[in-house]
Amino acid sequence: MVGVKMAAPAAASIRDRQTVALKRMLNFNVPHVKNSTGEPVWKVLIYDRFGQDIISPLLSVKELRDMGITLHLLLHSDRDPIPDVPAVYFVMPTEENIDRMCQDLRNQLYESYYLNFISAISRSKLEDIANAALAASAVTQVAKVFDQYLNFITLEDDMFVLCNQNKELVSYRAINRPDITDTEMETVMDTIVDSLFCFFVTLGAVPIIRCSRGTAAEMVAVKLDKKLRENLRDARNSLFTGDTLGAGQFSFQRPLLVLVDRNIDLATPLHHTWTYQALVHDVLDFHLNRVNLEESSGVENSPAGARPKRKNKKSYDLTPVDKFWQKHKGSPFPEVAESVQQELESYRAQEDEVKRLKSIMGLEGEDEGAISMLSDNTAKLTSAVSSLPELLEKKRLIDLHTNVATAVLEHIKARKLDVYFEYEEKIMSKTTLDKSLLDIISDPDAGTPEDKMRLFLIYYISAQQAPSEADLEQYKKALTDAGCNLNPLQYIKQWNLLSRVMNTGSQFVMEGVKNLVLKQQNLPVTRILDNLMEMKSNPETDDYRYFDPKMLRGNDSSVPRNKNPFQEAIVFVVGGGNYIEYQNLVDYIKGKQGKHILYGCSELFNATQFIKQLSQLGQK
Amino acid sequence: MAVDITLLFRASVKTVKTRNKALGVAVGGGGVDGSRDELFRRSPRPKGDFSSRAREVISHIGKLRDFLLEHRKDYINAYSHIMSEYGRMTDTERDQIDQDAQTFMRTCSEAIQQLRTQAHKEIHSQQVKEHRSAVLDFIEDYLKRVCKLYSEQRAIRVKRVVDKKRLSKLEPEPHTKTRESTSSEKVSQNPSQESEEKPVTEECPENIPAESQPELGTWGDGKGDDELSPEEIQMFEQENQRLIGEMNSLFDEVRQIEGRVVEISRLQEIFTEKVLQQEAEIDSIHQLVVGATENIKEGNEDIREAIKNNAGFRVWVLFFLVMCSFSLLFLDWYDS
Repeated sequence: MVGVKMAAPAAASIRDRQTVALKRMLNFNVPHVKNSTGEPVWKVLIYDRFGQDIISPLLSVKELRDMGITLHLLLHSDRDPIPDVPAVYFVMPTEENIDRMCQDLRNQLYESYYLNFISAISRSKLEDIANAALAASAVTQVAKVFDQYLNFITLEDDMFVLCNQNKELVSYRAINRPDITDTEMETVMDTIVDSLFCFFVTLGAVPIIRCSRGTAAEMVAVKLDKKLRENLRDARNSLFTGDTLGAGQFSFQRPLLVLVDRNIDLATPLHHTWTYQALVHDVLDFHLNRVNLEESSGVENSPAGARPKRKNKKSYDLTPVDKFWQKHKGSPFPEVAESVQQELESYRAQEDEVKRLKSIMGLEGEDEGAISMLSDNTAKLTSAVSSLPELLEKKRLIDLHTNVATAVLEHIKARKLDVYFEYEEKIMSKTTLDKSLLDIISDPDAGTPEDKMRLFLIYYISAQQAPSEADLEQYKKALTDAGCNLNPLQYIKQWNLLSRVMNTGSQFVMEGVKNLVLKQQNLPVTRILDNLMEMKSNPETDDYRYFDPKMLRGNDSSVPRNKNPFQEAIVFVVGGGNYIEYQNLVDYIKGKQGKHILYGCSELFNATQFIKQLSQLGQK
Repeated sequence: MAVDITLLFRASVKTVKTRNKALGVAVGGGGVDGSRDELFRRSPRPKGDFSSRAREVISHIGKLRDFLLEHRKDYINAYSHIMSEYGRMTDTERDQIDQDAQTFMRTCSEAIQQLRTQAHKEIHSQQVKEHRSAVLDFIEDYLKRVCKLYSEQRAIRVKRVVDKKRLSKLEPEPHTKTRESTSSEKVSQNPSQESEEKPVTEECPENIPAESQPELGTWGDGKGDDELSPEEIQMFEQENQRLIGEMNSLFDEVRQIEGRVVEISRLQEIFTEKVLQQEAEIDSIHQLVVGATENIKEGNEDIREAIKNNAGFRVWVLFFLVMCSFSLLFLDWYDS
């Protein structure tokens, strides 16, 4: 691709690729070149909610301004005509969007239109637009029409999510509903496959696909394989031609796509966690890299008027520019608290330095003779002044993280999350439990009913045999006393029976034996990835299906043709994922040099949302 | 990787056109009429005074930028007198360029201000207002960048002048005097670089009397004797060495000071910017405070009036009651 930085392996930074693609689109589909004395060109950006979700983690409002965007508006809002301004549209090709665009064309809102569709538009819809353009005599105004193939949201350099707006459609609940019809399943699968396809087009590589048998993941794999194959066959329009592959980076090594289903491991999403990013996601309202905090304004006693304490809502963006966040998002919470302290100290030291300089300069004004001191101080002053904006930025970040960390800490204290964390770790690694589960559940101040439910579910899932009826009754009684809703348990029971029938019951166990060498424990997903990437033989992954869209002959053979370990891998969880798995994968790959992993899921949920879905499923 | 389907779109436009023709549907602009209609449709559309003027300003700034870039090489390089005639630019020309550029920049920023006030006055929707103010911000930014080009050039030029002056001090005296006067004239012509010149020029007059004395002395001696005895030659050599040493140290010092002064000017620029930013804020705060004091004054007035009314009302009520009681007494007395 012209103009794309090729310094790092492509799979390592999907975020850069997507950002470059967006910038090119904003620059009227011409590669963007920074020119310091260029004339300003202004334009208006129109997006729908999908477009908004894709753009907001990648480009800030200031960056949009730098690209010349004066206004950015939602497609379905009231928009006034602004003559003589080109408009860039970034929307999904749905019926209502197309209708609205045709309406815009008829109302002659802007001077020229650059239409960019997030995923491919069908021929008939294109004709609808052509029709409207003709009717409005605006055909020459439609300057360019593009299919962007950007139908996925990148949250981190190596993590992506399918969508945010219609998560209901592709949620765990939607896929695992007992009453789902075939057509509905088809639509869900199509949505997922479309996004994955866009992802691979942006990545510029055709992967080798492996998936487990008999799950939703398999369906996705089959469809994706078919789609990729069709596209490759169509040599004229293939999206994976020579220049997309980018200077032969991928010609020798293709990435591995591992499709797993959420059902392999239901315990991890319920797990209480201890790393910073995952905690923020679990405990606070964290969404598309933005945290919403409610701060109560001080702890004063309310005055006699008894006005309720005002809670200020604050929201913070946790972006890649935030160095502290990048460094510490995977570290355990106590470390984070210490680091915030350290940063605060260093900031204070720098501030004192600047202040001292100020006083020296003040002295200097009275004393004329010390010109030699002046030169040093001038240089220091220059450096101090130029470092002021940096200092201010640092202060802002420290404030931000202090607030976030304090909020998280409050939650931890209130709900005794550290106790839960330790206990769950023990359960999941099958070491002996020193406190009985019943005690914790009946303890009134440890955590909300939801926390207890989570703990119990993890116990239930990880137990080798189902606990006896009497025990179960006891637990149920204790749980209802604590105020929990028992619906998730219903669902898990059903699921458990099902899965035991299918003989995949023991896969969620974190085996301590295998991991004696590594200090940390690998979650099931990480283990599977490890096996597949290193081509290790293992009973659970041996019967995974193998798809290679580039092979001439269709159909899978269970025998992989390629015997070498893979350097790049993409793990995709159908049914939902979370930051704990992501963090586990990141930690796993840190130990291996030169290998890269991307993590993706169809939706991102935290334990609360997952429990809600489970209880909805259990109600039926 | 994005796929350009513009051609596909145009093809579908054609298919729709032919389809509509075949179906005999009356289209709002099919075929030949379409192009005419489009032209027709376009002209009565409000051309947008604002954007055409904005584009004018941009093209002006563009012209300035091109002009500066074109003559940049000549401006900077033409200090070496060895260069060919073609590339040389006299100082007057440079001054002319400076002045022209400055007036141009002033007119451009005035034009931008005018556009801004006009945009605010006209009543338009919120979106259009926002869009226009953003456009004006872009134009101002562009102007600032071009001005930066200009001020960089200027800074280099002034530095060279100072260098030149320093070099000229090391030459023999009569030449020195004339060179100095011309260069100090040139230097004083640059109004905005005064702060830089002052310390340097202050230094020079101080050093010149100091230098001229020994020089005059040696020259005076040299002119007196026709033959130079070996001791005198030695003495002269020693003096020369000493003078060279002095010159070098002066040279170094001046260079240092120059560097510092350039830094100071840069800092000053930064500070001025910040102060100007704060000025706007302080203005608004001032307005607010004035408004607040007026409100408080009015509030006080209202309270005073209310108190008065209250008092007045009470007086009337009392009066009425007293009158009633008197009338009762009177009636009672009258009756009995």
